[in-house]
Amino acid sequence: MTVLLEQESAARRATPSSIFGTSSIFGWFMVLPALSLFALFILVPFIQTLVYSLYKFGLTSPTKQFVGFSHYLEIVQDDVFWIAFENNIIIAITGIILQIGVGLLLAAILDRGIKRGKSVISAIIFMPIVISTIAIGLLWRLVFDPNTGMIEELFFNMGWSTPMRGWLGDPDIALYAIIFVGFWQYTGFMMIILLAAMQGIPRELYEAAKLDGAGPILSFFNVTLPELRNVLIVCVLITVISAFKVFDLVYVLTSGGPGNSTQVMGSYIVQNAFTIGRMGYANAVSVVLLVIALGLGIVQLRTSRRDR
Amino acid sequence: MIKMPFKTLRLMMYVFIGGYCVFILTPLSWMVFTAFKKRGEIFANPSGLPNELYFGNFERVFSSGIGTYFLNSLITSVFSVTGIVAISTLAAYALARIPFKGRMWVYMFIVASYAVPLHAVLVPMFQLLDGFGLLNTLAGLILPYIAFGIPFTVILLYAFFLEFPKDLEEAAKLDGCSQLRTVFFIVLPLSKPALLSAAIFQVVFVWNEFLIALLILTSKEVKTLPLGLTSFQGQYSSDWGAIMAAVLLSALPIVALYLAMQKHFVRSLTGMGK
Repeated sequence: MTVLLEQESAARRATPSSIFGTSSIFGWFMVLPALSLFALFILVPFIQTLVYSLYKFGLTSPTKQFVGFSHYLEIVQDDVFWIAFENNIIIAITGIILQIGVGLLLAAILDRGIKRGKSVISAIIFMPIVISTIAIGLLWRLVFDPNTGMIEELFFNMGWSTPMRGWLGDPDIALYAIIFVGFWQYTGFMMIILLAAMQGIPRELYEAAKLDGAGPILSFFNVTLPELRNVLIVCVLITVISAFKVFDLVYVLTSGGPGNSTQVMGSYIVQNAFTIGRMGYANAVSVVLLVIALGLGIVQLRTSRRDR
Repeated sequence: MIKMPFKTLRLMMYVFIGGYCVFILTPLSWMVFTAFKKRGEIFANPSGLPNELYFGNFERVFSSGIGTYFLNSLITSVFSVTGIVAISTLAAYALARIPFKGRMWVYMFIVASYAVPLHAVLVPMFQLLDGFGLLNTLAGLILPYIAFGIPFTVILLYAFFLEFPKDLEEAAKLDGCSQLRTVFFIVLPLSKPALLSAAIFQVVFVWNEFLIALLILTSKEVKTLPLGLTSFQGQYSSDWGAIMAAVLLSALPIVALYLAMQKHFVRSLTGMGK
């Protein structure tokens, strides 16, 4: 993801050199297909989202009534919106701790701790990333199922008690069940990024640390972590950005329930627009999400610039 | 810091990583076992191996139309990914190698579109597709998939083309090759690994995409696999054998592709952390 930001500044500095000389028409001709699809499916909808958030209209009642900023005033007082917002933040924070923390540990072990079986181990750990979130959600519904679930059985065998309404049916627990599945699915993703970065650390640094008498744990803290500083910032940003994009997993595991306890901004937008039919209000929530996403984008841009 | 014998530490590392692999594999193997169990056995013996291989779950899934979902996902993936890679290659090459006017603006625009989350433009996009009469069609999926797949792919390929050796293009020019011919016959054949990495990442994305499919596909004949899975779930409610058989069938092709192309897949992902 930072790759794009680095390139953006690289592109600014460097003039591309073509041995065929400058040819504006040919250049524009080649970017035209990409630009027209963007304009149609990203730029135009983006502007329309901003405009539509000021109107009241529904899926079945397409006549638009101008309501100004009243949707935004409503958002401020909407408890469900704040639950969704808070849930996105909880998902981001737990994601940083669990996915990046464990991903880092796994990457460090694969990079320097073990010698055999690396490719098999990494193939296993990456695997959940390629399977659709819907398939993974269904699989975990089975695991959490109060009648046939593996977790239920495990708790029973250990003599522990389980929640009365099941793992996904208890409003205090459901969000953490979702976070757990996210951890299972995405930790491997963080591991890949961190492992690639670790493999770029010059081996001499480790040898020098060894000469100074540092064991593997000390050299992890004194060599690996400082060298990974920038990549870790990238990982935190990726995790926060994806936390605000969560939708599929919530949809298939709880649909935002029980109550609104697992509602996230993505599911709240979809629910408002296509279930309740409050298109204008959904657009106002979308604008809030856009502001957050673009804000995070700017943070990322700044971070990658400062490092230069 | 604690000092401990290296052997103990290494053993702990193997135990940790072995335990983690078990943690990943247990639910997956459970899915496979459940898919081969009879209904009664799923309840009586939830976590054990199946007593005998029972194929009834797969028969039920096939007879209720997973084949159609498969075909729809396949068609959508082929067209979307071909479109994404073709359009992105042209754009990335032009941006990296041809110093045309306004190039920087185009690049900034692409980077900016990458930040736009899909959720946030749903309503207008739905209306746009409705206006074109593309609701309930695969074309209505393919076009937005291409649009949303382009930014990441352009960014990935741009990095590759920036580093592409200039000498080859020069040699082609000396031989009297036109610019367009150079792109098609010299640059592209040498870019295969980069194009493949970009394509595989997009196959995974398109094969698994759910939200756009959920919004625009309502009739059974056009549903893709992820969407089909949710309708199986509605249809069979707690028939876990059939649901797991469907999940297994939907995951198999993508897992097989991933295992065969692991190197390329990892390369496309590591680009993100560079």
